[in-house]
Amino acid sequence: MLERWITALHTEDAGLETPAATRERLKERFPKNATRRMTQLGLLVGVALEPLRPEHNDAIIYASGYAETRALEGYLDSFPTPSPTLFQTSIHPCAVQQSLITHQRSIRQFMPLTGGDRLPAQALLTAFLAGTPRVILCGGEERGTWLLEYGRASDRTFAFALSLSATPVAGALARIELEFSDAPDSSDATLPLPAFFDCLHERRPIDMGILPGRRLRINWLQ
Amino acid sequence: MIPSLPPIRIAACGALTAFGDDTATLAALLAGRSALVHLPVHGSEGGDLVPLAVCAGRAYEETIPPSWIPYVRLLAERIPGDTAWGSPRHPVFVTSSNFGVGHLHAFRRHGNTAHLAYGTPFDCVDALVTTLGWGPNITTLSHACVSAHLGLLQASRVLAAGLADSALVFSFDFISPFVAGGFHALKILNADLPAPYQDRPTGSIALGDGAAFAVLTRDYGDYVLAAQSLHNEMHHFTANQADGSGFDACLADLPDTGRRVWLKGHGTGTLDAGRLEAVALARRFPGAPLVSWKGALGHTLGSCGLVELALAIAAMRAGRAPGTIGATAPGFTDAVAFSSFDLAAYDGAVCTSNAFGGAHAALLLHHA
Repeated sequence: MLERWITALHTEDAGLETPAATRERLKERFPKNATRRMTQLGLLVGVALEPLRPEHNDAIIYASGYAETRALEGYLDSFPTPSPTLFQTSIHPCAVQQSLITHQRSIRQFMPLTGGDRLPAQALLTAFLAGTPRVILCGGEERGTWLLEYGRASDRTFAFALSLSATPVAGALARIELEFSDAPDSSDATLPLPAFFDCLHERRPIDMGILPGRRLRINWLQ
Repeated sequence: MIPSLPPIRIAACGALTAFGDDTATLAALLAGRSALVHLPVHGSEGGDLVPLAVCAGRAYEETIPPSWIPYVRLLAERIPGDTAWGSPRHPVFVTSSNFGVGHLHAFRRHGNTAHLAYGTPFDCVDALVTTLGWGPNITTLSHACVSAHLGLLQASRVLAAGLADSALVFSFDFISPFVAGGFHALKILNADLPAPYQDRPTGSIALGDGAAFAVLTRDYGDYVLAAQSLHNEMHHFTANQADGSGFDACLADLPDTGRRVWLKGHGTGTLDAGRLEAVALARRFPGAPLVSWKGALGHTLGSCGLVELALAIAAMRAGRAPGTIGATAPGFTDAVAFSSFDLAAYDGAVCTSNAFGGAHAALLLHHA
């Protein structure tokens, strides 16, 4: 079994908020003019990350299934004269890069993951094995427009960032355990990213099989 | 420094490029051939001619069923043994930059909803997993052109932690009008094919199909991943720190082993990044010969780290490394090798990849 402690947690539940409203709401949290080209997900991930003040030797693990949906939609619609800016912005880990580039914060380990119903399970294991004293696990999605109509985008907008310690610390918010067994269990339970976010946002405990042979427990300590 | 890992063995690996498998690709590279051809950037819809290397017989534009599926199946058939990949003790690490996103472009242009089933990363990986019969223990990493290195690193960590008996890293990126259109919009593709490491007024890159696999273990296999390092500058989306410090930081984390290494650089052909990388590598490994193969293969994007690792191993097995094809002297440094060279004098290789956002990755490879 592996265990870690959540020492800080920030969640942003923007729900159905439009990108323009998010930009207006959060613009004071970034340097002047920085938000002009930021995506909605970039803004929210940035706001969730900022209180944690990522440092060079932290590992950052990023989880998003759809990533920069609006930029991708815009890029696809820009053909036959594709937009270079939207192409760049549509690349998967751009949300984290927008924030860290704004603050000129280099990071040694940046591990962006994508996936479906098992994305949080794999992101947590990646975070648990990163090997640095502090690991930041962040993620989120932004609500799509025409891709959503076809079920290929998130139907809600949210972001989170949490810091993990490998050792128990006073004031820790929660203890996370990953338990392993070699025998595939019969559980078909999955934990998609929005459900994982809701557990973090509402500080709900988790005790479930998240992959064959792997069980996740989150116990909130305060 | 990234917490050190025990050496991880490579029990098997293979690659697929526009030339064919790694054996065919190595032979083509040693013969100084290029797989690049000029194709209209938007495929049947025309556009400027751009340098692309597409697998023989594969459609550049997205098709239903996907034109890339037979190629990944062909590659996967070369994974030895009958391991239950995707089971708890045999995880799979899939990496790509573009996955099947070209299908979303095809859908948007032509309205065929069948393309939607391959458009998102996880839909694409689900299709791959179904095609190849893998179980659910799949981790998918995507960090543009260093993606494959992340797959290797995470697979190594899972092995080092004793959570797996073997791990499969599988990387792929098949080019399409979606991605070529994007790079062309960035004005770094052009049909004049300025070659990597060649000092010209404008740099340019080419793109190519690529896929590769590696089976990693703790204790068997002919080759060793002795060290792996990462660095993310977070300075600019498409530019590096002008002093090359990002390249230096990544290379500094590779240990001094006393080995005589040769260098397989990233070397896409962009001038600033190419120069910074060549200078940083020459600083860190003085006298070590440096090659790039993207002038022949095209940049295989998220798969390049694993495709070129498999080719480096093929070269080490053959005892001869291909040179930097398509380029002529002078290079960015004296270390750039334009011709193939004998590897008898070397007992290790350093392989590097770089990506948008100033992402850098490097690994040290040697015979077990």
